[in-house]
Amino acid sequence: MASTSTRIDHAALFAVLSSLADNKQAVGRRYAFWCNGAPTLEAAVAAAAMTQDELGHARTLYPLLDNFAQAEADLAQVEPETRTLHYHLRFLDQEFQGWTDFVATNFLADIAFTTFLEAAQNSSYEPLRLRSRKMIQEERLHALHAEGWVRRLAEAGGAVRAALLASLTRLWDETLCWFGPDDEPMMNRLASEGILNATPDVLRQRYLDKVMPLLSSLDLELPSTFNATTKHWEPAGSLPWSRWKPESRRLEEPGDGI
Amino acid sequence: MNEMIENPTKKPPRREQLDEHTVWHVYARQKYEEPLHEVGNVVADDIELAKVYACSIFDEFSWVEMVLIPRSSIVTVISN
Repeated sequence: MASTSTRIDHAALFAVLSSLADNKQAVGRRYAFWCNGAPTLEAAVAAAAMTQDELGHARTLYPLLDNFAQAEADLAQVEPETRTLHYHLRFLDQEFQGWTDFVATNFLADIAFTTFLEAAQNSSYEPLRLRSRKMIQEERLHALHAEGWVRRLAEAGGAVRAALLASLTRLWDETLCWFGPDDEPMMNRLASEGILNATPDVLRQRYLDKVMPLLSSLDLELPSTFNATTKHWEPAGSLPWSRWKPESRRLEEPGDGI
Repeated sequence: MNEMIENPTKKPPRREQLDEHTVWHVYARQKYEEPLHEVGNVVADDIELAKVYACSIFDEFSWVEMVLIPRSSIVTVISN
């Protein structure tokens, strides 16, 4: 455990790392359920491998929280075993309703977190820089799996394609919101201090440039438009910022308790 | 009677729509000085998924090379 004198006082980094660790943990737990329920034996083994990776990522991220002064407020919150705060996407609160929820999470959420990690590959915060590179390496296989299954389910047509689109749609807004509003102080501070190499709007744009070409090629209609002038994908319409909470980095409903 | 025979225009159930049919033989080696040898096979219609499955399933060693060969490309020369 870090001593008080060696702890870093950085609320923004502490908050974002908490959310990233919680999301990795939640994704791993949701994937785990499908280790023996995927549509094929091969996909089940891949789900087991990705479960291990995601839980492994969470285990390398949680110990970082102990290095922050913000951890002193409640030391139980830096250990996954005793943590009661859950700053993961709301979509991950419930068990997946089907394989399409798995694929949507694999494609949308997992790639969003990887977009964040890619922006930290040369981070001025060394512990994140070192972990990012290893995690990005492992995430390459996850992305191939996600893209392969999005193609497969979309091309199956009928009810399968409709279920995939419904899962992607349910996760869409919250995933785009996870990067924060364009003017969010926390993420902008990380960018200005070289902890990340991009501001929230740029991260969101990089993310859309990753996921939209495949979705667009499959005619899966999600609210994003291609800007021919900038040559980038952009969110179409406004995101539900009134329901987005910066502390938990998730969409909340009235009466939600975290 | 089989539901598909009763109504041949009806689409197969979701689960069957997702069945894979393409078999890939997986070859790998741990050292460059040794030849590639067959370590098993995977079934996937999407080549990218086949790669993911091969890496996930046959991850017990640190391979220096792994390749996939579609079963359909194998030419039988002798078959007694």
